[in-house]
Amino acid sequence: MLMIHPLVLAKLEVGQHLYWQLGGLKLHGQVFLTSWFVIGALLLVSFLATRNIQRIPSGLQNFMEYALEFIRDLAKNQIGEKEYRPWVPFVGTLFLFIFVSNWSGALIPWKLIHLPSGELAAPTNDINTTVALALLTSLAYFYAGFSNRGLGYFAKYIEPTPILLPINILEDFTKPLSLSFRLFGNILADELVVAVLVLLVPLFVPLPVMVLGLFTSAIQALIFATLAAAYIGEAIEGHGGEEHG
Amino acid sequence: MMNFVWLLAVETAEAVEEGGGLFDLDATLPLMAVQFVLLAVALNVLFYKPLGKVLDERDGYISSNQVDAAERLAKAEQIAKQYQQELAETRRQAQSVIAEAQEEAQKIAAQTVAVAQQEAQAQREQVQRELDEQKNQAMATLEQQVDGLSQQILDKLLGSLAA
Repeated sequence: MLMIHPLVLAKLEVGQHLYWQLGGLKLHGQVFLTSWFVIGALLLVSFLATRNIQRIPSGLQNFMEYALEFIRDLAKNQIGEKEYRPWVPFVGTLFLFIFVSNWSGALIPWKLIHLPSGELAAPTNDINTTVALALLTSLAYFYAGFSNRGLGYFAKYIEPTPILLPINILEDFTKPLSLSFRLFGNILADELVVAVLVLLVPLFVPLPVMVLGLFTSAIQALIFATLAAAYIGEAIEGHGGEEHG
Repeated sequence: MMNFVWLLAVETAEAVEEGGGLFDLDATLPLMAVQFVLLAVALNVLFYKPLGKVLDERDGYISSNQVDAAERLAKAEQIAKQYQQELAETRRQAQSVIAEAQEEAQKIAAQTVAVAQQEAQAQREQVQRELDEQKNQAMATLEQQVDGLSQQILDKLLGSLAA
């Protein structure tokens, strides 16, 4: 193995983490570093865009208004005109955080910064992040269901027939599972494919795959936010609703 | 290529030995969740609320302006209509005034002509009368002269007879 190492131009590291200890708890340092970068970027752009609000928007304010309208439309389509407003921050933050995370992983050459162990990548590249977001989504739609329908929310488990009770209960587990693994798998696979191609052909050939990766990243952010909004809308509406991939 | 695959396998194996790996769930998860919620709260204060307010205000502004503009348009159309009506009215009045004036003028002209004709007739009659009078006078004078001459002739004839 040691003889092979010098021959390899770029090194692939999968499943290695920069561990931080926090009172006996283990943390993945590289995930937090990039997530802080993403959070910082989002806060900075938001701050700059709302620093001097004009009635006739221009520049950054215009751009962020476009983003906000996009998020509002997304939430409105899934949750409905009447109930969507309180959910805009949650759904919007999901979209923005995942989107900026994915694109930062694809566009910023994190790998130039060397860590003692593991490597910097998109925060969504780590299963912890995606599971955290998916569990928050589950909490969100449970909260939406209970706050809107009280204990009547449980009625949805025996709709349309009580026979479907096990499947309906199972759905509450498959939803976060599919959400988290879809995002995690897509982003990790994208980064791996790019890394492998770079390893094999360092010039030009990986470019189309990288562009495809940008596209996938954006789509994944959109899918996550849309599905989260759809689950919330379903919980609020309570007509059973269909299963989304 | 083979080297790489071998390497990948070895590295994964190493990672698993260290307690890492792809599916290494640990305290990162709850902390990330907390971090995300904080981000959502911060963005709500910093981004969603102010910009959402601006969007709503602008919507209100635009719709109120639109209503206002529609009102003003309706008012302008009404005024234009009113003006047109007034214009038509005025035109009709002007026409009637012209017609009246023409009629009056014709009447005056006819009157004047009639008066003038009467005057002319009167003058002509007077002239005729004067002419007749003069003619009569002349006739009378002539008759007197004729009488004198015939007397003279008669005297002459009677004188020569008598002689």
